[in-house]
Amino acid sequence: MIKGYAGRILEVDLGDESFAFAALDEETARLYIGGKGYGTRLLYDRTSAGVDPLGPDNPLIFATGPLNGSVAPQSNRFAVVCKSPLTGGIGNAACGGSFAFGLKKAGIDVLVVSGRAKRRLRLRIDGDADAVEFLDATDLWGQGTYDTQKRLPKGHYHAVIGPAGENLVLYAGIVSNERIAGRTGVGAVMGSKLLKAVSVRGSRKLDMEDPKKFKEYTKEVRKLFEEHPVMGESLKRFGTGAIVNTTNARNILPTRNFKYGHFDDAMTISGEWMEDHELKGVKTSCIHCPVTCGRDVEVEGKGVVKGPEYETLALLGSNLEIGDLKKVSEWNYHADDMGMDTISLGASLGFAMELSERGMFQTPLAFGSPAGVSEMILDVAHRRGIGNDLADGVRRMAEKHGGHDFAMHVKGLELSAYDPRGSYAQGVEYATTNRGGCHVQGASMYLESTGPLTINPQNLKLKAELPVIQQNLACAINSMVLCIFTTYGMIPKAVHNMSPNSFVHRALSTVLENSGPVFTRAMRMKGKPMMWFEKWLTYITGETFSGGHLQEIGERIFNLERMYNLREGLTGADDTLPPRMLHEPTFRDQTSGHPLDQLLPRYYKNRGWSAEGVPSQKTLDRLQVRV
Amino acid sequence: MAVTVELTYDMSKTLGVRRFEVEDATTVSDVVRAARERFEAGDAFDRLSRVAAVAVNGVLVSHRKGLKTRLADGDTVAFVKAAAGG
Repeated sequence: MIKGYAGRILEVDLGDESFAFAALDEETARLYIGGKGYGTRLLYDRTSAGVDPLGPDNPLIFATGPLNGSVAPQSNRFAVVCKSPLTGGIGNAACGGSFAFGLKKAGIDVLVVSGRAKRRLRLRIDGDADAVEFLDATDLWGQGTYDTQKRLPKGHYHAVIGPAGENLVLYAGIVSNERIAGRTGVGAVMGSKLLKAVSVRGSRKLDMEDPKKFKEYTKEVRKLFEEHPVMGESLKRFGTGAIVNTTNARNILPTRNFKYGHFDDAMTISGEWMEDHELKGVKTSCIHCPVTCGRDVEVEGKGVVKGPEYETLALLGSNLEIGDLKKVSEWNYHADDMGMDTISLGASLGFAMELSERGMFQTPLAFGSPAGVSEMILDVAHRRGIGNDLADGVRRMAEKHGGHDFAMHVKGLELSAYDPRGSYAQGVEYATTNRGGCHVQGASMYLESTGPLTINPQNLKLKAELPVIQQNLACAINSMVLCIFTTYGMIPKAVHNMSPNSFVHRALSTVLENSGPVFTRAMRMKGKPMMWFEKWLTYITGETFSGGHLQEIGERIFNLERMYNLREGLTGADDTLPPRMLHEPTFRDQTSGHPLDQLLPRYYKNRGWSAEGVPSQKTLDRLQVRV
Repeated sequence: MAVTVELTYDMSKTLGVRRFEVEDATTVSDVVRAARERFEAGDAFDRLSRVAAVAVNGVLVSHRKGLKTRLADGDTVAFVKAAAGG
């Protein structure tokens, strides 16, 4: 077996409460690394088209990669892969916390949960004894994710669902510690299997090709991170909420169900405000991560709890026109405890508010008013009253109540908190990302709107090339499995220290913007490992990973996801943006919205896809994507 | 003619205001000058603004005509710092 892998898949069948260990396929690991890539390959091969996402034939796949189980910063994340009940296409989500570490300690690369239990269950896995216990979870059913984890056995690493998952809220997530695999409804799939929690333990060591080099180099990276303006300063001091004031100034902060990109009270929900007014002095991290982007805040009646991150601040804050950080923190607590994705939840609440305002759906909710929101979040989690409608997400709400023009989703997945009208590459990414409208499947916005070196986000230059490269890289990162925030470290300190108003800065930006095909070719060049994650992979596995290698692997994964979606009935017509994003301008010099129609054909061409968005056989052959 | 000026968090903390109006500013340069005058110590503004780009209605002036970018009544001029989120 390649080093860095435990070499085992644990197969669990909930229907007959049986389990077996199988060997990890080495060739698949070489082609797809692990995590999201390996999981997608398994999902494609093991399911047939049209499977019911909430039925027993939709496997729930927890997958780690070769970096998991090591002490590499940002490396303790796992991927969850299944068919999404929210989109009907590929479902996946990544999660920090500690569960990935636990799986690898137990000697498990991938956990495949199949079937549907006959009773409410939790699993206890002992990797040292190669044992799996199927335990009754009746007493945990109905409990929030925080209490559930407290009641599970010590010395184990847990992944659990809350009431939202139990009640099949279509954007329910899976929680490890205080982190969540939030997107695409993976928690609903777990709930549909009557599986409340998975606890895992073990004491196996990760076998590396060159542990000495890995250890020495990891020390260097830790130092580099400590001194980096994002890793060691901004994310550490202010968390991801540091970006609120930036997106607001760039007019891309979702406000009033994405009608506007600017919110007058943005500052009072920002990371800096949290640091000065709400933070309780505790900053939290996933296991072994020095970045500590999490932070604790106090919520009345709940004590000190995890604070909201950027997406939550935007979707439950500005998007609802709420500038009260205490309220957003309270709602974030409820969403986490119930086990729900705050992006989809916030978008569903915003959509409900606009529907209500237009008289299309009667609710007690109104923009700018916190009244009834806490209660509604709990109603959503329990599918009570009109909360039952919101629990199905924006697309289904629009099918029932109308409002397609301002229903903020792509492929059924609610849009993240970067308005694409001011970030064109991000818009292409939203439109084409296989799991739907999400930002962490590429994060082009960092290079065009929010980072220290940005191209002009509102012309057509590089906007059909950048998303391809970023999506490929994100696929590879999510397969190692590493935190996507690691890519923020790729822009060196020297660029951060440059004045954004300097001539050199403007010159670099112009060169990048005009680099087009050169940029693509440069990023795809195979050579020696340069970035830390390329070196880690190389030292751990003994195989050579450079940026070009990762681009190829990421492209392979992206195309396989695409083929999965096509098999499930999605088409190029689903590669679009909400009409509000396409037709309603938010910038003074815009006459319309995002110019997707001009960029999509170029994007397809760069991908080696037909004009209808179908990968050509030549592309699939080049990438060794077997379908 | 009036434009609204929005400050970075650090600038706002120093001045004790989040935003203010500037009358009769025709270019971004006028606004930057007016903002600097609000700070008791000009070097504090220089330090804080060195790491901040300037955007007019959300568009960085480096993509327009820099400090010479012309303003219209009702424009919002924002000082903006780079940041990473999630």
